[in-house]
Amino acid sequence: MCTAKKCGIRFQPPAIILIYENEVKGKNRQRIMPVRNFSKFSDCTRAAEQLKNNPRHKSYLEEVSPKQLEKLFTLLQGHLCGQSLAATMEQIQRETAIDPEEDMNKLDDKELAKRKSIMDELFEKNQKKKDDPDFVYDIEVEFAQDELQSCGWDTESADEF
Amino acid sequence: MAEDRSKPSELDQEKYDADDSVKIICLGDSAVGKSKLMERFLMDGFQPQQLSTYALTLYKHTATVDGKTILVDFWDTAGQERFQSMHASYYHKAHACIMVFDVQRKVTYKNLSTWYAELREFRPEIPCIVVANKIDADLQVTQKSFNFARKFSLPLYFVSAADGTNVVKLFNDAIRLAVSYKQNSQDFMDEVLEELENFKLEQKEEDEPDQAHSGRIKSLSLA
Ligand SMILES: Nc1nc2c(ncn2[C@@H]2O[C@H](COP(=O)(O)OP(=O)(O)OP(=O)(O)O)[C@@H](O)[C@H]2O)c(=O)[nH]1
Ligand SMILES: [Mg+2]
Repeated sequence: MCTAKKCGIRFQPPAIILIYENEVKGKNRQRIMPVRNFSKFSDCTRAAEQLKNNPRHKSYLEEVSPKQLEKLFTLLQGHLCGQSLAATMEQIQRETAIDPEEDMNKLDDKELAKRKSIMDELFEKNQKKKDDPDFVYDIEVEFAQDELQSCGWDTESADEF
Repeated sequence: MAEDRSKPSELDQEKYDADDSVKIICLGDSAVGKSKLMERFLMDGFQPQQLSTYALTLYKHTATVDGKTILVDFWDTAGQERFQSMHASYYHKAHACIMVFDVQRKVTYKNLSTWYAELREFRPEIPCIVVANKIDADLQVTQKSFNFARKFSLPLYFVSAADGTNVVKLFNDAIRLAVSYKQNSQDFMDEVLEELENFKLEQKEEDEPDQAHSGRIKSLSLA
């Protein structure tokens, strides 16, 4: 079918733009998907879902992750709110990264679910699934423990950890 | 949620006294991967039982240890702080503990000391395994020393729920430890707790003869 190369957003008039390669190799094409009924109050996750499921665009967007589309809608929303691009990028960074210092025991269900969905990205990337041809149920790996370095998380004093 | 103090029948913990049954608890901060580890070990040959009042998922498993069939209940607990009041029932009659941290998040390692102190308050003797999860995200950590495990002489396992490294070994070892603990211990702490339960029960019934039933449920939930 088609191979997605790049996906971006145009603010005025608002559209998601996809650069892709057709069956005819080596020839890049561009598809402009206008964004309608989107305001500064819209839900970016839903907007991304709707676009991905839009019957007219669906087959083109197969290789574009919902997360990336959501990011593009967030950029557009930042623009609609008069926010600078840099500020929106920083906001996205904050919302899509895990703060390693954060104590997640204190989060409510919704916030915790958000963090977990961010973590799911790496999990799914590294996951070996049961139906993978090279799946092995019991994988034992011994890690040589002779030249260990401190993890850096222990305090200096000998009996503290 | 926390107001609901009745003890549902499925949480009957008497069965853990039977010879062929052990209880293993899985503890640690929110999002360290406790549930993912359980799922990786059991794959999909199981039906977990959600007990949302207890912020708890129960997984039943059958294992064979030295030719004997053992019924294992895994208690997959929730790390969130608002479930703190449930912890006592997690520890009650447990025979082994799997204590997990996330190698990508220092706080989860630091909080081990709190989890461990609480565990020892309720279960001073049961075997405990420390688990460094998510090593797929950074294999370097397997070449690092973690003093927490060393300080308390606890075994440390490097695992990944994502790619499966050492997950099956971890759980099978935990089951073996639970069984041998059960065979060799007197479970003093449990007996003491039971005594306390009975004591409160009698008191309640004397105080409120008309509400003996509700009184009983209340006092049990204190255990
Ligand atoms: N990369 C990687 N991610 C993992 C691994 N295990 C779990 N995760 C991620 O960590 C997130 C949290 O995992 P859970 O199993 O839900 O954590 P939990 O300890 O059960 O959390 P609570 O039930 O909230 O206490 C998941 O959404 C996964 O994406 C792992 O081995 N590797
Ligand atoms: Mg969980």
